[in-house]
Formats: sequence, C-alpha cells, structure tokens
Amino acid sequence: MIDPDRTYRRYQDLQVYVGWTDEDAVRVRGLAPLLEPHLPALVDDFYAEIARHPEAHKVLAIGQAQTDRLKRALLAWLHDLLAGPYDRDYVARRWKVGARHVEIGLDQVYTNAALSRLRDGLVNYLGESWPGDRAGFVEAIRSLNKLLDLDLAKIEDAYQAEYAARLQDSERLATLGQIAGGIAHELRNPLNVIKTSLYYMKTAHVLAPEKRAEHMERIERKAEQAEEVITTLTNFARMPVPELRPTAVGPCVHAALANSPVPEGVGVEIDCPADLPPVLVDPCQVRIVLGNLIRNACDAMPSGGRLTLRGRHDDDGVEIKVIDTGVGIPPADLGRIMEPLYSTKARGLGLGLALVRMILAKNGGNLHAVSELGQGSTFTIWLTAAPEEGEVA
Amino acid sequence: MNDETPSILLVDDDVDICASMADIFADVGYSVDFAHEGARALELVRRRPYDVALLDLKMPGMDGVTLCREIRRVRSGTVSLLVTAYAGGDTVQEARDAGAWRILAKPVDFPSLMGLIDDVLKQPLVLVVDDDPDMCASLRDLMRELGYRVCIAHDLREAIERLQETTRVVLLDLRLPGEDGGVVFQRLREMNAAVPVVLITGYPAEMGPLVDRLGTEGFDAVHYKPLDIPRLLADLARLAGPATARGRVDRTTEI
Repeated sequence: MIDPDRTYRRYQDLQVYVGWTDEDAVRVRGLAPLLEPHLPALVDDFYAEIARHPEAHKVLAIGQAQTDRLKRALLAWLHDLLAGPYDRDYVARRWKVGARHVEIGLDQVYTNAALSRLRDGLVNYLGESWPGDRAGFVEAIRSLNKLLDLDLAKIEDAYQAEYAARLQDSERLATLGQIAGGIAHELRNPLNVIKTSLYYMKTAHVLAPEKRAEHMERIERKAEQAEEVITTLTNFARMPVPELRPTAVGPCVHAALANSPVPEGVGVEIDCPADLPPVLVDPCQVRIVLGNLIRNACDAMPSGGRLTLRGRHDDDGVEIKVIDTGVGIPPADLGRIMEPLYSTKARGLGLGLALVRMILAKNGGNLHAVSELGQGSTFTIWLTAAPEEGEVA
Repeated sequence: MNDETPSILLVDDDVDICASMADIFADVGYSVDFAHEGARALELVRRRPYDVALLDLKMPGMDGVTLCREIRRVRSGTVSLLVTAYAGGDTVQEARDAGAWRILAKPVDFPSLMGLIDDVLKQPLVLVVDDDPDMCASLRDLMRELGYRVCIAHDLREAIERLQETTRVVLLDLRLPGEDGGVVFQRLREMNAAVPVVLITGYPAEMGPLVDRLGTEGFDAVHYKPLDIPRLLADLARLAGPATARGRVDRTTEI
C-alpha cells in the first residue's frame, strides 16, 4: 500500500522544511548516553498516564501482555529516536506506527498528546543531568524538538493516508454491494419468468400451440429485458465522447417519444415551436436523456395523466421541460434522485437520472428538477444553442 | 363455501410472471387468480378464501410484507409465501413476522415450490371461533408453528362464512357476543355435520348445563380457559390428524 521511497522523499522534504541537518543528528545521538538510563521510567510513567484516560486505555491496554508488548515497542521507538540513522528504514518504521494506530482505532489526538508528554519527560531528564552550558542545552533541545516534530509529522502522514485508504475501501465495497444487489434484482426478475415459462412448457399436460407461442414470446421478451440491464450498465460505464453537432429540438423530442412509447391513459402534449434555435449536442445521447425523463414521467403517473414536452428559447440556449401530472417526489427524495443507485421505484437500478446528468454534463447541458407532491414533477434540461452559422441536422 | 379444488392467488406487478405461473397452476388443476398490485389482491382475498397466496416482495404501492399482513388479518387461513429477488436482509424477518410461511428466492425453483404448496394443502385447516382477538392471534401463531392452517372467526356470521368443506376441526368459544353458544354449535353442525367441534369456555359453572346438553348432540371435546395447551394440542392432533406436513421449523428451501 505504501511506497517507502516516496515516503522517505516526503520525510527528506520535511527535514529541509524544519531545517534539520547532520549536525542535529550528531547532537541527538550525543544525548543518548544521558537519556538511555531514564527511558524505562519514562515508558512506565507514560502507560500509567494512559490508564487514567479511558478512551486511550481501552484501545491500547487490552490485558497485561498487550501492555508489556506496547511498552517494549515504545522503548524501542525511543532508542531508535536517539540512535538514528534517520534513513529510509527509519521512516518506514515511523509509517508503521501511524498505520498501526488506524488499525487499532486510536484517535490521533492521543498521538499528539502522547508525544507532548514524552517530549516533556525527555527535556526534564536532560535538564536534570545536563553537564554542559546553557547554550549547548538550548541547541540540544532544539535538535530534539525538530526530530520529534518530524516523527510526529510522519506518523500523522501515515495515519491520514491509511485512514483514507481504508475509508475508500469500505466505500468501494458498499457501492459494489449496492450495484450487485441492484443487478441481482433486475436480472432475477426476468430470469424468474424465463425459468417459470420453461417449467410450464416442460411439464404441461397439454401444451396448446398458442400457449407455446405465448410462452416463447414471453421468454424472448424477458431475455431482452435482461439484456437491457446490461446495456444500461455499459451505457453508464462507457458512454462515448459526444459527437456534438447542431441539432433541431423538435425532431429530437419526437424521436425520443417514438422510442419510449407512453402507456394508455397518458396524454402527450408537445410544445416545441419551430423557430427554436438548434442546439449543439450529440442527438443520440440527448434522445437517451429524453427517453429516460419520459419513462420516469410515465412511471410517476400509474393511473394516467398528462405528459408535456415544452421547448423554449432561453438566453444562449434551449430549455426543454418534461412535465408530468403524477404522484410527485417527496422533498427528502428530490435532493437525492440524481445520485447513482438511488431509486424510489420497485423496479430499476437507480441509474436513470444519474445517467441523464452525466450525459448532459458531457454535452454542455444541465438538469434541474422541481416537484410538488400529488401535483407532478417538472424536469428541465438546458442545452447550448449551436453557433448561428451551424447547419440544422 | 369452498370446494376441494385448491385455490391460489398470485400477486406480482410483473404481468408476465403472473401469466406464466397461472398457466402452471391451472395445468395441475388449481383454481388461479392473480393481481398486479396489493389493493386489487386484497379485494380478491375478501371475496373468497384462498388456500395459498404467492406474493412478490417488492411491488409499487403496497409491498409484499404489508400485503401478507393484511391477508393474515382478513383471511388467516390463507397461507402466504413471499417471493423476492433480494438475497435476505431485514425483510426476511419482517416477512416472517407478518405471517409469511416461506420466503423464496427468485428465480423460483418450481419443483420445490410445487412440493411446498402440496405441503400447505396437506396442513389441516382449523377454524377458531372466538370473539377475543388476542386469544385468536395466540392460538393462530401457536398452531401455525405446528403446521396447521388457522381460520379465525369472531362471530357467528364470520364462522358461517369461513367454515369450509375442508375444515378439519372447529374450536368454538361458547360465549360469543349476542349469540347463544348452543345455536352457533347447531348452525355449524348443520353446515358441516362431519367436522369435529371442540368447545371452549371460560365459564365452566355457567356453561355446565349447555355443555351437558350439547354432549348429547356430539361435540368432540371441551376445554376450559385458561387453556391447558398441551391437552388442547393433543385433542387437535387426535381430531384433525397430526400436523404431519412440515411446519415452520423446517426451512430447507427458504432463503
């Protein structure tokens, strides 16, 4: 997951940033004989303090064996800190500390607080046993502080990177689960019909020719429905780069309606004045957009209603409204309906509006929805007008 | 009154699956109705008692679990099976709580579905006539667990409506509001002379003379509230035949 070279380069960059030099390294190494005898006491004090903080304690000290192991690790970390060398392996070991904190779920505030406490302890012991002059003492403390800050930066760097990676993993898994569930549902339904009809044809005591034809037709229809699920998915995953060309709005609306027939009981009104300027879009893709909006509108009117497709010239573009007189969308859903995999319907993957939005973005357009419960919804798409000299496709 | 032809109600918003399943059940001699949404299904259920209802879980409008709960309320003798394209989750428990006998995964394995429905039809049908809804619900849940189908009637009118040719035992509370228990007993006997009747009463002293009188007309057992459940179940097994069909305990074909 981590690239040790990259991590080391980042560390070196930070060394420059804080002004860490080889001199600092030599100075810190010089402190080792003074501090080494005190380190076990420092570690003990450190864990005694943790025991007083329930949140840190419950993560860190699960049983005596665990505490002993952690104490040994902390002691090793302190030895390492004083001895160096501050090379690639040293940095990799610091990275592991941060990664481990993510693993065990230790909040980063404790790393900061812990380092402060260790720093305080180290400075205190140094002050007690410092053999030289005050200027030397200050120099030593400055070097030690730089080193501790670099360590802390590296641990936090690791913590953030690991945390983000984990979050991404779990989000990816959740999305994958959602997609898999949606696909499963959408495929199992047609498969169910296919299997059921096959069972009938195999077991029927009397299989009249017209019954046979009826079931064959049903099987074919459901196989196509299953195929459509795959088409939707591939549409989503691999919508080609649009071939933008000047396109007349009216014919595009009519073509979309022809591809998505509305059920009986839904009246259609097309209101696209002939003088609407052509728009600069990929007509095939805009037909997919309109088809989705038309199907949604019809789904919203299970007991019939009125579907209006209205085109209007709007500044430097054209607005097409798809208006239904259906059930409407609850305000809580309205903000989410364009998210992929969000669906309020019993059938469907929940990709329709997300696809619409994606296509429009690629075609330089946008989508806007308003709705009134019990009154109906209006989906407005906005498309860029083609430059004047363009030809109407 | 129901004849011996098994009846099944299919509910799915997908027109195709209803049509295909209807052909299968019609071919093996069932009486089949179907509906594409919950409200219509409930209308049909109110009209006649189905032996089995096969319900899709996810439908627009009323979902399968709600429909199942409603069917149990209206016709508790109807055994509901739910079919779902989803693989488990909270809904499975919810569906069981709503009274679904089995939850099946789509695509449905038809040979085992036919086996399950055969099992349902073998489950003895018991009619409980009692005006106390809690008492009825408890008896229903208990007997469902043991593999009986349980019809519930709260008064004489419902009892008459729900007594079927195929009813194997009647549990009759002698004290129904506004009715003479003896009259209820006689009416049910007139309709179905062969069905064994188990009398239930919370008033042994008061009802003693009536129990004695009905004894001459041949009831099959008498139980006093609070019920001695093991003894009641033993009588039930004796009169209805043991609930040999698989009860809810065996869930081999379920999700």
